[in-house]
Parts: sequence; C-alpha cells; structure tokens
Amino acid sequence: MSSHQEHTLALVIDHIRSTVNEDWIADFEIDRETRFNDDLELESIEFVKIAEALQKHYGTRLAIIDWLSGKSIHELIGLSVGDLVDYIAAATEPAQA
Amino acid sequence: MARILFTVPPLTGHLNPALAVADALSAQGHKVAWAVHARQLRDKLPPRACVYPLDAEDPVDSGIADPQVRGLESVRLFFEDYTLPIAERMLLPLEAIARSFQPDVMVVDHQLPGGALVARKLGLPWATLITTSASILKMSPMIDAWVENQYLGLQRRYLPAELTVERPDFSPHLAVVFSTESLVGTTHERIAAPYAFVGPAKGDGRRAVAFPWDWLQPGSRKLLVSLGTVSRDRDTRFFEVMMAALAEMPDVQAVMVAPESLAASAPPNVLVRDYVPQLELLDCVHAVICHGGHNTVCEALSRGLPLIVAPIRDDQPVIARQVIDAGAGLFMRHGKVTPAMAKTLITQLLGTSSLAENARRLAEDLRAAPGAKGAAERILQLAAQAAAKPALRQVA
Repeated sequence: MSSHQEHTLALVIDHIRSTVNEDWIADFEIDRETRFNDDLELESIEFVKIAEALQKHYGTRLAIIDWLSGKSIHELIGLSVGDLVDYIAAATEPAQA
Repeated sequence: MARILFTVPPLTGHLNPALAVADALSAQGHKVAWAVHARQLRDKLPPRACVYPLDAEDPVDSGIADPQVRGLESVRLFFEDYTLPIAERMLLPLEAIARSFQPDVMVVDHQLPGGALVARKLGLPWATLITTSASILKMSPMIDAWVENQYLGLQRRYLPAELTVERPDFSPHLAVVFSTESLVGTTHERIAAPYAFVGPAKGDGRRAVAFPWDWLQPGSRKLLVSLGTVSRDRDTRFFEVMMAALAEMPDVQAVMVAPESLAASAPPNVLVRDYVPQLELLDCVHAVICHGGHNTVCEALSRGLPLIVAPIRDDQPVIARQVIDAGAGLFMRHGKVTPAMAKTLITQLLGTSSLAENARRLAEDLRAAPGAKGAAERILQLAAQAAAKPALRQVA
C-alpha cells in the first residue's frame, strides 16, 4: 500500500468513527476488509453521510455518488472500506506520484 | 354474496392483516377461501376455513432462506431465494385453484407475486394487500431497476407477452396499504398504484395467547421488547444486552419476546416469553423496543407509544427511518449496541416527552384509519364493479 493509500485509509476510518459516534466504534477494528453492511451495520443514510463528508473534504476531485450509482446490488452489498479507499486514492493521486 | 380468494405467504406478519380482512368479510356472509402453504399455515387459519393447499407437491417447507443475513443482502436473498421460487412453484397450483373456486375477486399479498401473475393471466379483478409501506417506495434507481428485472424474468416464463408490465406485483384495481400517509412521509417517491391507506388492520382474527398478567406491577414503567417472529431466534446477543441494561433499571419492567431458554438468566424485572398477546400487551406498556417490523411499529404508534427501533433486515431500516423522521423513535444498532448505550437509550425513550407527543400525533391518524374493515369494504366495491362489468370475468 502506498503512503497515499495509507493516508486515505486513515482518513476514511476517521470519518467512519466520527459519523457513527457510538461507544463500540471507538475500539472496533476497521481495516480494508471491513464491510459497511455486514461488519459495521451501517444504514444507507449513514453511508451517504460519510460519503458526503469525504466529498466535502476532497471537493470536486471526487464524485462518490456517481461512483456508487454504477455499482450492482451485489457490489453494494459487499462494499468494503478498501473499495472506497481505492476509489478515493485513485481519484486523488498526487500528480508527482 | 361475493366469492373471495385470499393468497398470502407463510409469514406471520403477512397472514395477520389478511386474517383480519377475511374475518370482516366472512362476518358479512361472504365466501372466503385461502390458497396457502397449508403445512405452515393451516393451524393459524380459522378452524372451518376453506383451504386450498399450494404446497401439496413441494418437497419441503420453504422457510426464510438465511435467518442471519442483514440489510440490503436480506432484500436480495428474500427475492432470489424466497419470493421468486415460491412464485414459480405456486403458479400452476394457484391457477387450478382459481379456476375451480371461481372467485369474484382475488386478494393477493404483495410478497406473493405468483398470486398477482395468476390474477393477471385469468383477467380476474384483484386487490394487493401491502403489509409494509416500504414496498410502495422508490428506493434508488439501481435497486428499482433490479426489482423490475426480477419480475420481468418471472413474467416471461408464465404470462403472454402482451400482459407483461414493469411492476406486476401491484394490482391496477386496488392496492391496500396497512399504514397511513402521515407515517409513510414524503422522503421517498411512491411507485404509482391505486392506493388505499387503511392503517393497521387492528388485529381481529388472531388466535388467543395466554399471559401471566399479574406479573405486571402497577406503577412500574413498562416496555415491550420484540424483534418479531423472523428474527426472534436469530441470536441471543441483542436480548442479553437488553437484559444487562434493564438489570440496572429496577423501576422498569420489560416483557421480552425471545427464546424461553433466556428466562433462567433474566433479571427479576424482565419476563421472557416466546409468544405473547402483543395487542393486549401494547395496551399496558409505555414504550416499545423493536426491530422496526411494520406491524409492530403501526400497532405501537396507534397507541401513542414511542419506540426504540433496532432494524435488522428486509424493510425494517426503511420503516425505522419513518419512525425516527416522524420524531417518535430512537435508533439502536442491533448487532453493536452495548449495555451502556442501551441503558442511555431506554432512559431517553422513557424520559423524552417529544417522542411520546409525536407518537400520539401519529396515533390520531392511525386510529382514525378504517383498518381491516375499511379494506374489506374496498374489496367488496371492487367485486361489485367487476360484477357490473362482465368483461373482467374471464375464468373459464
């Protein structure tokens, strides 16, 4: 994993923890494999909140909602933190890398 | 007198409202028959009910495919592994039943699209019974397209091409919704159909259940905790967390619908029962903790009771959101909640006056709605219209 990806992963995890904001999430281990539906039990409305916060952080370099709307039902069900990180990292790759 | 053929899936939450409607029709002398999975439902129907089995040639009873799945995965599985296979298997038996019984009108649960397809093929007037208002909402373009595609495949294998439509599951004549427009809200657009919002069925027709009423103490704050019949036996973690939280709240008494094996470890203020007379209990409690099941939510709100909603699967996240958006409930994360968080939420549930006020506001509409009797009236109107228009009656 590049440092850019590691940095993106840390940022996404931060946004997940602060959006969920419940006692269990503070010590819940979140990594690339963590799935939003099965492992975090996130409601779609919560996932959208996280996406919007990340969108705000990165600005127009991202189009998370467009990216999501291209996903099939099977892809949405299995969506992991790593999937989101890969999309964001690719869209925000520093020019010199 | 009208001849009315009901067909519903073997799921308690779908059977109960239909039972109440059928009860209202039978009471007026109409001839009601049931086309159902008789091995699972026979003992839940009235003793002298006219029953046509749909499952005579099925190898085994079809239960909910995987009781452990949650969220969107459960929606996918419910369609692919439950609703569609049942629909395929019931088409020919139901068609034969309908030709034999010669109904004036069919009443088809929304989750039983096999019934919808048979009514469409035979050109019978029919009503859809919609036991969860989540079914009438457009969710996202991707999910809606997926649903239409599922139905398209089913129709292609049974219906002539000219009868194929985008959403065969909704009757073009009458779509009875057991909810109110004020609870459904306006967050999501609705699928177009001739809706009649009749509110909760109000329960007539359910079998009686014994309960130790003297366990409830005057003066205590009382809760009903239930995850519904599908998720009751899912796992015990949620119930154990509730018991741990309630053990520290001796002024609260809770009746918990859960496997009775948990009774041994329950604190003195928690009564564990695996089946309860829910409507009668709701008349005695101050608030409800539930999974966001449509019937339980509507029954609780009809009595002005605020809720904690801990949605797990199927339509529950959508119904839970309706309750929260209406200001009558608090969200609890079913698989993650801790005793500390549960205690905080229960304290809020019992102590926040706006929750109860909003629940009472919703109760006015829910109680004013005509329920099963109103549904029965609309179904009879449909039968009368059909009788006046013989073109609709093509069963030969």
